Amino acid sequence: MSLDAVPLIPLLAWATLVGVDLVTAPQGLLSRPLVAATGAGWLAGDVEAGIRVGMVLELFALDVLPVGASRYPDYGAAAIGAAVLAAGADRWAGLGAGAALGLALAALGGWSLQLLRHANTRALSGRTAALAAGDGSAIVRLQWMALLRDIARSITLGAIAIFVAVLARPVVSDPANGHWILVAAVAVGAAAAATAGGAVRSAGRGLRLKWLMVGAVAGTCWAVLG
Amino acid sequence: MRGRLRALTRLMVLQATWNFERMQGVGIGYVAMPLLEDLAIQDPARHAEAVARSSEFFNCHPYLAGIAVGATVRAEYDGVPGAQVLRLRTALCGPLGALGDRLFWSGVVPTVMAGTCLALVQGAGLAAIVLLVVLYNGLRVATGIWSLDAGYGAGMQVSRALANSWLTRAASRINPVAGFAVGLLVPKSLAWLLAGADRSFLAIAIVVGLAGAGLAFRYPSRATSFRFGLVTLVAALLLARGIV
Repeated sequence: MSLDAVPLIPLLAWATLVGVDLVTAPQGLLSRPLVAATGAGWLAGDVEAGIRVGMVLELFALDVLPVGASRYPDYGAAAIGAAVLAAGADRWAGLGAGAALGLALAALGGWSLQLLRHANTRALSGRTAALAAGDGSAIVRLQWMALLRDIARSITLGAIAIFVAVLARPVVSDPANGHWILVAAVAVGAAAAATAGGAVRSAGRGLRLKWLMVGAVAGTCWAVLG
Repeated sequence: MRGRLRALTRLMVLQATWNFERMQGVGIGYVAMPLLEDLAIQDPARHAEAVARSSEFFNCHPYLAGIAVGATVRAEYDGVPGAQVLRLRTALCGPLGALGDRLFWSGVVPTVMAGTCLALVQGAGLAAIVLLVVLYNGLRVATGIWSLDAGYGAGMQVSRALANSWLTRAASRINPVAGFAVGLLVPKSLAWLLAGADRSFLAIAIVVGLAGAGLAFRYPSRATSFRFGLVTLVAALLLARGIV
């Protein structure tokens, strides 16, 4: 898939919505990797690939608790890049390489979020006197400039994700490039570990842990029996 | 409550100015401004002070921030001393943050995401994602409306109103459901994602999964799932390309 074959404008628009959704507005699950990757897969013409790679990244994301000033990966644009890479590719290659690219891009996204927060802090320090005086226009200006900054961050991140995914396509398509099924198996195993480890850690020792275990047993039976 | 619709709209972009100094503070000020407009006519000096107070440091769960906005705006109209309004804001940060994180980030989000993944495994397709986004955002908007109204209705009595609200009950009830849903998801998604692969690869995934979960549980700060995923995937890529 070359850059010409990718619906660049719709994907960039989707990446912007997804990126802004993470923290700025409206935090309505668009930035969840499952949603972001399925949307990107649909735009790139392969919904199934988007769902599969989105589900792997979603398992990683279920371990993240986005509270306060904590640092966490941004899976939005990462999931879009992963879906673009996986679209139309061999199933195992798309899954394995998509997950690997998604994790790397998620780290970049998390770092960009820290940069955005520092930029917001710098912008604020120049307007503390106006805020102390109750100047409403200073609040409005700060808010709109911050929104524009996050839009710029999201577009940039989306463009990088799509560009890297398109660049990596020949590697994924080349049949000489090893056993992608091994990479896919490791990706799925690590993703399951992320969800399970995070779930056990956050469950404590109460009712949630008990129900987590019941769910795991029921899920195993369901998986084995069909 | 004049300016309610504009405040509700602004509540959706509350965190745009999230920063390390005032965290959500400026965003809260942005939401409160339309609600404080009447105060500018009644008492311009008090209005300026109220706007300044509204943008001071604040942080809580974004979905429940409307409670703090509503309560403090009501307190400003009721003529409560400024220092007391600031104390109310400070007192609300912890409970609204903890309750919202427990209800939404640890409860509702894992439940609906696991439910959607399981629906996709069963072949629901794109419709499951569309339904998820529509229903969840409906809940998001409804919570915003409720929180703003509940805060404004309670004013300085907001702590009591919060303790008697549906939030604490919902947070307690959703947590076991989230645990069950996530427990169900892990083995089922693993089997679905690797369906058709040789059993040896399924075994590799299970071994990697158990090792990762064990490490994450034993060394939660160092062996994060993200680091474990990156390291194992790089190792698998090198192995697959025959470099190792």
